[in-house]
Amino acid sequence: MTGGRLAAWLAVPMRWYLGVLFIDACLHKIAHPGSFALDIATYDILPLVLVNIAAITMPWAEVAAGGLLLAGHRTRAAGWMIAGMMVVFLAALSIALARGMDMSCGCFASQGAVDEDPISRLTVVRDLVWLGLALFVVAFDRGLLGVDGWLRRRSV
Amino acid sequence: MRPSAVVESRQPGAVSGWRRSLVEAVVLTIFSVVVGLAINAARPHGLPLIASTPYEILVPCPEPGGPVERVTADDPGLFSPRTFLVDARGPADFAAGHLPGAVNLCYDWLDPVPEADLLALASEIAASGATRVVVYGDGGRPDSGEHLGREISGRGIKNVSFLEGGAPAVAEEIAP
Repeated sequence: MTGGRLAAWLAVPMRWYLGVLFIDACLHKIAHPGSFALDIATYDILPLVLVNIAAITMPWAEVAAGGLLLAGHRTRAAGWMIAGMMVVFLAALSIALARGMDMSCGCFASQGAVDEDPISRLTVVRDLVWLGLALFVVAFDRGLLGVDGWLRRRSV
Repeated sequence: MRPSAVVESRQPGAVSGWRRSLVEAVVLTIFSVVVGLAINAARPHGLPLIASTPYEILVPCPEPGGPVERVTADDPGLFSPRTFLVDARGPADFAAGHLPGAVNLCYDWLDPVPEADLLALASEIAASGATRVVVYGDGGRPDSGEHLGREISGRGIKNVSFLEGGAPAVAEEIAP
């Protein structure tokens, strides 16, 4: 098995992992957009006029990217979306940590769960790992065990 | 020659593939935004696009200063010559009576203690040769002595304590 082929196969579980992760992350946000808006406002980065719009739309970008990664369709584009979101989350986290804020990440639950999911340097490391996984998928995924691969085989 | 020719012929395609996936990502993101806005509009209790009032953000402020320990009035080391006493009450209360040898630095709940005063006190403590600092306030809740102790501790002074109950707990020892 060549290096590229091995990387393509390695990208499959990473893709599934990121897919499940982002769908899991967006469920709470879609069900409770008001709580997610409060999470965004707590970071105190976006102006008030953009807080609700971000809370309404961001979870749907997460579900789209997560769903596409799970299905193995347009995986590079989905990987870019995840990577873009991770960069945004990392910037927000870094600013909050630099300000010394003691708050919940808001990644999987609301501010009420501050004791379960507090932001820390570990959160930044975790997000960096996820960013790395997303970029790996962008670089090496070939649609194996996914819709893209199936479509390619069908066209051949 | 042939492998390099293959690589050269692949590069433009690879670049266009990256570009295409980026464009797809942008299109998908825009599509997701539109879907999110549409579903929110259709929801019975959808979120207003723009919040009318600021969100009440409940984030605990970072705890200022450093660690302090609690001591009681019957602590045997309270009046030791190696203990530096700090009175956190106002100047009038201090003038009316204080523990022997205590230095006054008022902790005002409304105005932060001036940094210069804190650093001057920290220097005075460091120069005194004391091995322990005990701060006492009015004994209220919250206790001004505890808060001033944290401020002092945060300026690099170790072994800082506050007197539980403040000045009323040692009333018989207080002298003008």
